[in-house]
Amino acid sequence: MKMTIHEVAQCLNLHVITIERWIRQGRIPIQKTGNGYLFNESALKKWAKMYRLPFSMPEKVKSREYEEKPENLLSAMKRGGVLHDLKGDDMETALKSAVDHMPVLSKTSKKELYRLLLERERLTSTGIGKGVAIPHPRDPLSDAMNSPIISTCFLEKPIDFGAVDDRPVFVMFIFLSQSIKFHLHLLSRFSFCVRDSSFVEFLKTSPDETTFFAKIADFEKQLDRAET
Amino acid sequence: MRIFQSWRYPANWSIFRLDDRLLLILAAIIVGSCSGLASVVLNWALKAMFNWFHHLRHYWWIFVLPAIGAALSSLFLEKVVKEGAGHGVPEVIYSVSRYGGLLRFRSSFSRIISSALTIGSGGSAGPEAPVVISGASIGSNIAKYFSLNDRQRVTLVGCGAAGAISSIFNAPIAGMVFAIEVIIGEWKSVNIVPIAIASVVGTEISRILQGNQIPFSHRLFNISHMDILACVGLAVLTAAAAILLTRLLRSMDKIAKKLPAPLWIRAAIGGCAVGLIGLFLPEVLGKGYHVVQTTIEGNFSQGLAIVGLAMIAKIVATALTLGWGGSGGIFAPCLVIGCFAGLTYHHGLALLWPSVSWVNQGCFALLGMAGLISGMLQAPLTGIFLIVEITGGYEVILPLIIVSAITTSLCHYIEPAAYYMKELVEYGHLLRPGTDARVLSDLNVSELIEKDCIAVTQNMLLRDFINIVKKSHRNYFPVEDEETGHFMGIIHLDDIRQYLFNPVMYDTVFLGQIMNTRVDIVNPDDDLDDVIRKMDANRLFSMPVVVNNRFIGLISKGSLLDQYRRELMVQTSQSI
Amino acid sequence: MNHQLLHIFRNNPLGRETLLQSIYFSKQAKVSPVIYIPKSNKFLMYFENDVVQIDLDNSYLSSPDTALEHATEVLEQAGVEPRFLDPKHYTASTLPDIHTNFDYMSCPRSISDLSSKIGLGYIGPRVRRIVKSAQFPVLITSPVYKEWESIAVFFGGSVNAFNALKVGFRICRVSGMRLDVFTLVENKSQESYEKLIADENLEKEMSRYVNTWHFLKNRTLEENLYDVPHNALVVLGAYGHHLLKDIVFGSKMEKIQSTISNNLLIVGPKYTAVI
Repeated sequence: MKMTIHEVAQCLNLHVITIERWIRQGRIPIQKTGNGYLFNESALKKWAKMYRLPFSMPEKVKSREYEEKPENLLSAMKRGGVLHDLKGDDMETALKSAVDHMPVLSKTSKKELYRLLLERERLTSTGIGKGVAIPHPRDPLSDAMNSPIISTCFLEKPIDFGAVDDRPVFVMFIFLSQSIKFHLHLLSRFSFCVRDSSFVEFLKTSPDETTFFAKIADFEKQLDRAET
Repeated sequence: MRIFQSWRYPANWSIFRLDDRLLLILAAIIVGSCSGLASVVLNWALKAMFNWFHHLRHYWWIFVLPAIGAALSSLFLEKVVKEGAGHGVPEVIYSVSRYGGLLRFRSSFSRIISSALTIGSGGSAGPEAPVVISGASIGSNIAKYFSLNDRQRVTLVGCGAAGAISSIFNAPIAGMVFAIEVIIGEWKSVNIVPIAIASVVGTEISRILQGNQIPFSHRLFNISHMDILACVGLAVLTAAAAILLTRLLRSMDKIAKKLPAPLWIRAAIGGCAVGLIGLFLPEVLGKGYHVVQTTIEGNFSQGLAIVGLAMIAKIVATALTLGWGGSGGIFAPCLVIGCFAGLTYHHGLALLWPSVSWVNQGCFALLGMAGLISGMLQAPLTGIFLIVEITGGYEVILPLIIVSAITTSLCHYIEPAAYYMKELVEYGHLLRPGTDARVLSDLNVSELIEKDCIAVTQNMLLRDFINIVKKSHRNYFPVEDEETGHFMGIIHLDDIRQYLFNPVMYDTVFLGQIMNTRVDIVNPDDDLDDVIRKMDANRLFSMPVVVNNRFIGLISKGSLLDQYRRELMVQTSQSI
Repeated sequence: MNHQLLHIFRNNPLGRETLLQSIYFSKQAKVSPVIYIPKSNKFLMYFENDVVQIDLDNSYLSSPDTALEHATEVLEQAGVEPRFLDPKHYTASTLPDIHTNFDYMSCPRSISDLSSKIGLGYIGPRVRRIVKSAQFPVLITSPVYKEWESIAVFFGGSVNAFNALKVGFRICRVSGMRLDVFTLVENKSQESYEKLIADENLEKEMSRYVNTWHFLKNRTLEENLYDVPHNALVVLGAYGHHLLKDIVFGSKMEKIQSTISNNLLIVGPKYTAVI
C-alpha cells in the first residue's frame, strides 16, 4: 500500500514536522529519495510497536467518531413510553407501579431498577421542583442496554416526594442510560425544557402521547439551534 | 541514468533498508582508511620539517622560526581556508550535538596543513586534535556524499575520529574509546561496532605505511605497594598541572584578544616567545615525543629543579602557542607535561625518602602522562587505554587506573567541564544523546502547536462567549482584532469563572474588558528550552504562539509532555 | 502568512538597492523580510544534508554602527516592520549559524572584482550550493532596484523546472500578477512539452494561472532571451549540476543570468513545491 508522509503522520498521530525530522535523524525506518519517501508498512508497524507508539489507519479513526454520536430526548422518550394515571400514595408505591408498567425491561431488571431507584431517593430526592421528579439509578443498570430510555409517568394524584421546593410531584421521568455520559447529556437537554414554565403548565394538563412528543420535538429543535 | 545515480544512495538499497549495520561497517572501512591516511600524511610532514630545520637549531636567530610558522599557519586558516576561530574539537562535538555531525569539507585538510606549519616550526602543540578534526570531517563528508541520515552520519564522524587517533598513536583501543567517550558520548552497539572497525582499519593503514612500532617502548617495571600508594600524590600533582594548563590557556587567549593587532601578528608574538624559551630549554619545542621517549627509558638525567622548570616551561609554551593563535592540539603537550610531572615527582620522592627503593623514573613519567590526559579531557578511559597502548606496558595498569581516576575527579572538582567541552557547556551546546537538553533542542515549537483554539473578538459579549466556551475543548481563547486579525490578548477560563454564573453580566461585559493583554508570547523559532523556562518562571501552563501579530496556536505543557516522552523513547531505545 | 525571506544586509548604496529589491519582492509575494546584519565575515548555513560556509567580502562589515540604523530606515520608509535575525548559536566564536527554515533567500549579484565571494558578477559556487541544498528558492536581485510587473517562468521539462513552475504559480496566486511561461525549444516538439505538463497533472493550474506559453525557436539563446520582458521576475529551475556538462558546455544558468539582468528566482531540487 502506498502512503504519503502526511498519512504516515496521521497513522502515528504525530506532526508531519516530527516525522520529517525523525527521517532526517534516522530514527524511523523511512528513507528519503529525492522528493519522495520510501518505506515498508510492516517494518513501520513493527517499529511503532517497538516504541509503543499508537499506529492506526485513518479510516478507523473516523468510524469511532461516528458511533460516539449521542442520542436526543425524543427517541429515548419514545422508547420509554408515556404512562397515565399511575396509582400510588407515596414515593415508594408510585415508583413501584411506574416500574411495573414500564415497557422493554425484563422482570429481574425491573426488580433491580426498583431497588436502585429507592436507593437513589434515599440519598436525596430527585424532585427537581415545580412538581417534576426525575427518578434514576445512580449507576447504570447491570444488564447492558443499547440505548437510553426515558419513561414519562403522569401520576393519578400529586404525592409528596420531598422535592427541593416541597411541592407535591405530579409527573415523573424515569431516566435509564447505558452510561453516565449519556445520562448527563439527556439530563442537560431535559433541564432546558423544564426551565420553561409554560412547559410545566403543559405537563399539568397531562397531555396524550402524540401532543407530548410534538412538544418535545419542538424543544429539541430549539436546542439544536442554540448549539450551532 | 537512474541506475548510475543510485549508487550514491546506498541507504535506499533494499539490503540496507531494514538494517543499516552492514552499510555502516562498509562505510567505516572507507572512513577509517581515509582518516588513517590523513594522520600518516601529517606525521610524514612533521618528520620532514623536523629534518629540514634540525641542522638550523644552533643558530641564535632560530627563535623566530616558531613565530614564522605560527604566523603562516594563522594566515592560512584565516585568509586561505577561512576557518573560524577556535581549535576545532569543540566544533566537532557541537556539530554532533546539534546538527547530526555536519562538518565542512575544508575542515578535512585545513587543520592538518596549519598544524604542520605550527608544530613543524617548533610551536608547542600536538598533531592529534588536527587529525581528529580531519578524520571527523572526512567521515561527515563521506556520509554526506552517500546521503546518509543524521544518526549514520554521527557514527561515521566517530569512525573518522577513531581512525585518526588509532593511526597516529598506533593504538586502536584508545581511538575507539576516545571517539565514543569524547566525541559521541553514547555507548551503543550500533556505534561501537563501526567505530571499532574504523579503528582497526586506521591502525592497519598506519602499520602498513610506517611499520608496527610502539611509540614509547620501555623496559619492564617492578611495581611495589609503596609505589601504588605514592600514586595518590602524583595524581594531585598532575591535577594541579592540568588545571594550571587549562587556566593559562584561557587567560592567554583573553590577553591575546585584547591586543589590537591582526591575528597572524598575535600568533607570531606567541611563536616568538616560545622560540625564546626554546633557546634555553629545547625540550619544550615541537610535539616533544623524543623527550618522552628518553624519559621513559630512564635516560633523562637532569635534576629536580631543571625538570620542574621544564614542566612549567612546557605548560607556558603550550599556552603561548595555542592561546595566541597557533594551531594544534593538546594531546602531545599533555603527554610531555605529564612526563615531566612524573619525573619531578619521582625526584621529589627520592629526595625525601632516599632509603626507599622506588620504581624506575620511567614508570612515574608514564603515570604522569595518563594523569594529565585524563585530567585535561576528563575522560579517564581514554587516558588509561592510550597510555597502556602507546607504551605497551600492561603491568602498570593498576597505578594507571588510580592516577587516572583521582586526577579526573580532582580536575572535575575544580574545573567542572573538560577542556574540549568548556565552551560548549558555557553556551549550553553540549547535548549528549538521551539527555533532557538534547530532547528539548530536537523538539521545536512548531511540532507542539495545538491549533484547535477558537478565536474570539474583543467586541463580543460575554453571553456569546459562553456559547463558544460550551463548544471548545480548551481553556484558552485568543482575542483577535476584528479588522486586522491581530492578536490582542488571551482569555483564560479562570478569568471569567466568577462571572460565569451571573446572568446580569452576560450582556454588559465585553471580552475586551476581561481579556489579558499582557501575555508572554512564543515565536515558532524560539528554543523550547527558553519557552519552558518562561513558563516555569511565570507559572504558566500554556502560552500563545504568535507570528507577525497573528495567533497561530497554543503551546501547552500537556502536549509537551506527550511529545517529550515519545521523543525520549525514540531517542534512547537500545535497539536502533 | 508566516513566510519569511532572508536578506543579508550590506551597509552601502549597493546594499540598499538589493534591500529595496528584497522589500519589493516581499511585498509582492506577501512574505516578511528578515534582515541579518553580519557581525563577522563568514557564517554557516546548516541544511538537511549539507553545511555551507558563506564568506562575505569586507563591504558587508563596513561601518557597523550605522548598519542597523540604515536598514531600519529603508524598511520603515517602505512600510515594513523591521525584523532582524540574531544568530542564537555559534559553531565557533566567529562563525554564527543561520537557521535555514526560510521560504526565500535573497542573494545580490553585483559587479565586484572579488570573484570567490557571494554576490558576484557570476553565480558563485556558494550560491550554487545554497540552491542545491536549500528548501527555499533563491532570489538573485538585479544590481539596481527595478520593479517587476509580471512573472516569467522558464520551463524546460526537468524536475527543477516543474518546481520553478510551481513557485511561479504560487507567486502569481499571491500577487495576482501576469504569468508567462517561456520554453526554449531544443530538438523537441511543442507537443512533447505539453505532454510533460499533462503527465504531472498540471493542466488545470496551467490554464488557470498562465497567460501565454511562449515557445522560443530562435537560433541562439541570446536572441531567445530578448523576447522575455525586461520588467519580469524570471523564475527558473537550477540547471543540471552535472559537472561534466558544466565544464564542456558551460552552465546554462550562468549564461542566462549574464545575458538578462532581470531579477532571478532560482529553484533548486530540494524545494518541496506547494502551489
